[in-house]
Amino acid sequence: MTIVGQAGQSVNYKGLEVVATGIERAQNVALIDCPPTTNSQRGNARAGEEFVVVSLAFKVTPAFKETIVKKPVLTDASGKVYNTSVAIIDPGSQPEYKCSFPFRVATGTKVASVQIDTASIDLASLEKK
Amino acid sequence: MEIDRRAFIASLGGTAAVSMMDSEAKADALEHWMEESLDEQAAAAQGGTPEKFPTVAELDAQIETRNYRRGTGNVFVNTRGNVKKLEAMPKNPTLQDFFRLRFAPANHVLQSATRALKTGMSEEIILACLLHDCAQALMKADHGWWGAQLFEPYIPEKSAFGIRYHQALRFYADPDAGYEYPDLYYRIFGQDYTPPPHIEATYKMLRNHKWYMEPRMVTVNDLYAFDPNAKVSIEPFTDIIGRHFKSPKEGLGNDNSPSAHMWRTLGNPDAPL
Repeated sequence: MTIVGQAGQSVNYKGLEVVATGIERAQNVALIDCPPTTNSQRGNARAGEEFVVVSLAFKVTPAFKETIVKKPVLTDASGKVYNTSVAIIDPGSQPEYKCSFPFRVATGTKVASVQIDTASIDLASLEKK
Repeated sequence: MEIDRRAFIASLGGTAAVSMMDSEAKADALEHWMEESLDEQAAAAQGGTPEKFPTVAELDAQIETRNYRRGTGNVFVNTRGNVKKLEAMPKNPTLQDFFRLRFAPANHVLQSATRALKTGMSEEIILACLLHDCAQALMKADHGWWGAQLFEPYIPEKSAFGIRYHQALRFYADPDAGYEYPDLYYRIFGQDYTPPPHIEATYKMLRNHKWYMEPRMVTVNDLYAFDPNAKVSIEPFTDIIGRHFKSPKEGLGNDNSPSAHMWRTLGNPDAPL
């Protein structure tokens, strides 16, 4: 079953409430797992590429049971899927947190949605015009 | 904040210039340096002016400013002063003994393995992550190959494969697998660095290898294991070591394995010959 939500609205995935709060584009991004750590490494896009950085806010509800939560994937307007290097680790360790997930895409790629396993959040409305 | 001592001294005009400064001037200079560094990091984090990385030529120009080679193993050199007397190894040393007495603090490899464990990776990959940079105690240059050789008499073939070839894969981004090219390599190899032909050939071989993901996952966890605030220990890996590391009863270095001499060197790096 796919759970579908709009940007700004929360989607409940196995007891985790997830909200997409923003999209930014960058050439150089912090490589920090989720919930955020203080890892010091940064990643770089190559010429002709950029990172789409999707910000997601998480809220852990009582229904959440500790489990391995899959990494988000990004789908662009043409249906192509992109992976992120950021992993969700110990998702129940904090009641609420915000994370940034960088996805390396060709410069100017229009994004459509982000998915965590069966949960999907529409991102089109977050794209800056 | 971690201070790059060499860069700091160079910014002041070198050791000769520093030796002429009084304590107050040095303290002021250090404070100024730290403020600037913090500002640069903050700007970079907010998408501002990115850090300026050295070129290969600039890094080469530093060679004769040091009294050691960059590829030297950690147990042989202390870039910030004299080396310390090492605690003797037990009579029949185990891997854990080497972690405690020669690889310590080993934060980076412990963080890397912890991430592999928490993201549900195979035990062969977790073990590879735990061991992937340990050979840097012995030799930094070509540490993937040295590390695989050090450990392969004792560990699964897949783990040794992961250790050996993470050295080549780290230079090649693979966003599908979740690996980005890190700033760290711009900083330590130079922003215009291109891997030598044998690394390029190894990468091409690995792209078509059925075990590609073993070394690739080592590089993925490698990236996320530079957290100065992470609290890690070797305890969570005791069972995995027990299951996969064939610890010789005579102790590492005493077992006449093909890499026993490497363990003996790590055990006693003060041996004159």
